[in-house]
Amino acid sequence: MSLFTPEFGLAFWMLVVFLILFAVLAKFAWPAIIRSMEERAAFIDKGIEASRLAQEERQKVKEEVQALLADAHRQQMDVLQQTERLKREIIAKAQKTAEDEAKRISESARLAVEQAKRDAELQLRKQVASLSLQIAEKVIRKELASENEQVKFVGKLLNELENKE
Amino acid sequence: MKRILTYASGIVVLIMGFLLISHDGVAGEVLPGEEQHADESEKAFNPKEVIFEHLSDEYWWSIVGDVVLPLPVIVRDDAGEWHVFSSSRLMNGQSYEGFYIASSGEYERKIVGIGADGKEYRPWDFSITKTACGIMVSAVVTLLLIFSLVAYYRRRGMRAPRRGMGFLEMIVEMIYKEVVVSVLGKDARRFAPYLLTLFFFIFISNMVGLISVFPGGTNVTGNISITLVLALCTFVVVNVSGNKEYWKEIFWPEVPVMLKCPLPLLPLIEFFGVFTKPIALMIRLFANMMGGHLISLVLICMIFLFSTMGAFATGVSSVFSIVFVVFMNLIHVLVGVIQAYVFTLLSTIFIGLARPELKHEIDKK
Repeated sequence: MSLFTPEFGLAFWMLVVFLILFAVLAKFAWPAIIRSMEERAAFIDKGIEASRLAQEERQKVKEEVQALLADAHRQQMDVLQQTERLKREIIAKAQKTAEDEAKRISESARLAVEQAKRDAELQLRKQVASLSLQIAEKVIRKELASENEQVKFVGKLLNELENKE
Repeated sequence: MKRILTYASGIVVLIMGFLLISHDGVAGEVLPGEEQHADESEKAFNPKEVIFEHLSDEYWWSIVGDVVLPLPVIVRDDAGEWHVFSSSRLMNGQSYEGFYIASSGEYERKIVGIGADGKEYRPWDFSITKTACGIMVSAVVTLLLIFSLVAYYRRRGMRAPRRGMGFLEMIVEMIYKEVVVSVLGKDARRFAPYLLTLFFFIFISNMVGLISVFPGGTNVTGNISITLVLALCTFVVVNVSGNKEYWKEIFWPEVPVMLKCPLPLLPLIEFFGVFTKPIALMIRLFANMMGGHLISLVLICMIFLFSTMGAFATGVSSVFSIVFVVFMNLIHVLVGVIQAYVFTLLSTIFIGLARPELKHEIDKK
């Protein structure tokens, strides 16, 4: 069966063609193709890695910004609270000062009023005493114009004194 | 999806077209005979003859019908002289410079000469036969395809190729990454050119062999001389790159001493294994590819066998044959890819087996 017996001539041409094909492809094609494929694969890998890093970086930055914001917020709150406290303190102080002042003023006013009252009372008493004396003098002068009257009056006074005792 | 369907139907139509055109050759040779000698029609059509003629090598290339491309014949006679002439001088049983094509006997369909002693002998035959042309066509197609990919990279740099180039790159990547790198690891770079060339040559030969119009349709990988050379190349690569450990495992494998000492049982088996591996490669590819061509030819021959039984039988058998040939051809596409892949994969594995890790490297780990 000629189909199953190799032909030397054909095998020779096959060897020649195949070796030439191999030599040409091995020299000029396969290394270039494999290098290109690997370079591209490496490039893609690098790109993915870079994007992953960028994402991480962005995440980190975002977190930092968030932290910064939170910090600023807290500080703001602190400042606000402090201001509030200060405000209250100042108001309280002012109120206290005002109250003290008012108290002091009213105290001094009261003292002055009392003083004036006392003065007035004293004056009044003096006047009342002198007026009473004058009235009494006049009354007595008029009453004691007669002797009878004088004796009656003395007797009455004596009675009174006795009764008192 | 719609586009894929369009492509697929286009391919089917093309294949059918190729079949009809290509087997015009068969029809052209047979039908005129039938018409001219209607009474001898059974004698004129000999399916075995037709099939073997198409499967085996020829000194010329029938393109279509009677259009035949003569090819150069290069022979060295028993006196040591070279003869180069066109094969058209040998057509139709002519003889030239003492050479003719044997019609029967041991050297059927081969060029023979008459020696000084008057006996038929086979000269050294380096003719560029149809199959030799087919090899060159495959090689040229391979070169064109691969260099177009190289040119693409040179032009476009990092951009990933699309469509045709993308498909080509996918195949290269499949063979390189999935086969070569995963089997050979760090040696991949060293053996990749050989294995990729091997794959693409076989793959493209298989595909070119399926396209039955000129310059395709040659039964390249279904010829045992071709698979012999391919297997021989793998054999050489495997054994040249085999390391100390590989040879030790062949001649002094790690088995009980009684299996190798008085009678070298296992070394013998291992030693035969060195040769049976490439021989299996050779026969596997040859038988698969030849089988595919054989089935297509047999199915087509059915039409002409049934044609003697009247118009109805011819019609029915034509339809059935064409449907089955299309089906078989599609399977043959699959087989062509698989066989190219298997040949490459096994070559890679044999190379890998010939380079086991050396003892001290294992110990280092």
